Amino acid sequence: MKLDTANYHGWQGRLRSPWFSTLAIVKVALLQVFRRKSYWVVIGLGLLQFVVFFAIIYAVTQLGAFKSRVLERLDFVAEPNGDVENNGYLMFMERQSLVVMMLLAFAGSLLVGADFRLKSLPFYLSRRIDRRHYIVGKLLAVSAIVALLTVAPAVVLFVEYGAFTSSFEYWLNNWRLLVSILGYGLVLCTVLSITLVTLSAYLQRTAPIAITWSSLFFMLAIIARQMRDVTGNVNWLLLDPWRDMRYVGRYCFGYFAGVEDEQLGLKALALLSVVCVVCLVALAYRVRAVDVVE
Amino acid sequence: MPLIRLDKISRSYGRVQALNDVSLTLEPGTIGLVGNNGAGKSTLLKILLGLLRPDRGSGEILGYDIRRSGNEIRGRVGYMAEAAAVVPTLRGVELVTLSGDLYGMPHRQAQRRAHEVLNYVGLGELRYRRLEEYSTGNVQRLKLAAALVHDPDLLLLDEPTNGLDPRGRRAMLKLIQDLIAETGKSVVLCTHLLGDVERLCSQVVVLHQGTVLLAGSMADLRRRTSHHYELGWQSDAPQRFERALADLGVQFLSRRGSESTAHAVVQLPQDGSTLKLFQLAGECGAVITMLKPQEENLQQLFFRVTQAGTDAAPGTERPADVTMPGPRS
Repeated sequence: MKLDTANYHGWQGRLRSPWFSTLAIVKVALLQVFRRKSYWVVIGLGLLQFVVFFAIIYAVTQLGAFKSRVLERLDFVAEPNGDVENNGYLMFMERQSLVVMMLLAFAGSLLVGADFRLKSLPFYLSRRIDRRHYIVGKLLAVSAIVALLTVAPAVVLFVEYGAFTSSFEYWLNNWRLLVSILGYGLVLCTVLSITLVTLSAYLQRTAPIAITWSSLFFMLAIIARQMRDVTGNVNWLLLDPWRDMRYVGRYCFGYFAGVEDEQLGLKALALLSVVCVVCLVALAYRVRAVDVVE
Repeated sequence: MPLIRLDKISRSYGRVQALNDVSLTLEPGTIGLVGNNGAGKSTLLKILLGLLRPDRGSGEILGYDIRRSGNEIRGRVGYMAEAAAVVPTLRGVELVTLSGDLYGMPHRQAQRRAHEVLNYVGLGELRYRRLEEYSTGNVQRLKLAAALVHDPDLLLLDEPTNGLDPRGRRAMLKLIQDLIAETGKSVVLCTHLLGDVERLCSQVVVLHQGTVLLAGSMADLRRRTSHHYELGWQSDAPQRFERALADLGVQFLSRRGSESTAHAVVQLPQDGSTLKLFQLAGECGAVITMLKPQEENLQQLFFRVTQAGTDAAPGTERPADVTMPGPRS
């Protein structure tokens, strides 16, 4: 192979702020995930669920006879005293979160673990960014995946409902639902991205990440329920991070079964905040501890 | 303005002193950074990249303060890591574009530039291959392209020929050589392969146990070693001749032989002439049987100075022959 000296030209442009580089990290991460064909099985599940809800909204708004029966199961309207279990958007997002969790269990190794395992981290950190930009980039990347599978389709469903009723009234009367979707989405993005990136930075390989990740969300749920049953103390339920996120989500939607439920929501918010801070500290330590030049 | 100026830089990791009072002034050009494992090369590279703050001392690289301007330094320095830097599922051109993005280039310009530099390093036809499909030699070229994408003033190349077969190594060295000749960029080459340094570099820095044993231009080094000679002689009173040589300022670097016949490697004083040796031999009744100038290559020099550095106990004065004045521009 010969050196093509004729093609070398200097570059005179101006370098932008390192914060712009975080967008490049996000873009590459999305590219990595969507290029893996195996991940499309899980993404397909999410899409399937979206199509089902899309069809339900179409049926509710377009087919009058269908409306009353479906609304008994799913409520797509913001009612101050509505039944939280039946809110369509909340139900959709909670179910989508399950799909997201499955996807993230496998994607963590690719998005973050590989940087440590295959020594790509020096590639990032020896450029014009420091570990703050790297960490923020990776968190945004995972958040983008979470948002693409939860928030974005939920917003599309909200828009669809309004569009099929052919008036602005639905959007104007139920704007609180949109805020709730965004709020719950923010909780999901924040908690899932911080825990996944931290876990992946330490465990690195797919199998340990997937096992730990699923244990975190499924085993803890079982333990929490057992402890609640044995001790009779409902605070044990907070041990389940999945339930904590649901409580906070309901807090965003403004729906609570009772005062106790509301108190648990606040406690869950506090607990998740502590977990996130601890994870961020551990993550900052981990990224600093890795040698950039070996 | 010097390319790199370091003033009494020290850095330790716990009890391990990685760098100890390192002072250097290096002019633009091609600089070889050599040393054994644990000599402090990596720590020095980290400090030069602005990734690590020294415990003590100050310094500048390309006029930027190494303590405060890490991002600015990396904006004008291209770093080619020793590690493979594989980002799974990406293609060659995407990796180089990502590198440009991470340096802060606007995305479209990074894309265009990625194609240019990939052509430049000879990977134009392979740019759409996935990283996993590149050979070791092509990965090295790709890493060089990723370091060049923002057109840096200085390239830090960490073991650029690592893992390459002789043909690949020769091609990589040729690529770097042409790059230097074509673009006039300054290069710091960090390697264990002294032959690479000898071939490419105009200046060399030898690190040993966290200190600079030798820093100077290759021309200076060659000039210094030009005072080394292999000397053979016969004499009935050899000690007299040896004493006379020592009085003249001749240093014996090695000596072997019998009572009457001897053979030694000697270093003449800077102003010494070989003619004086013959005069002395005549005065002492000795006959010089061999006098041959000895040129050390970098490898021999490296072994000699690092051995001398190891022999010198900490805190003692380093042997005079292993220190060098600052480099010449």
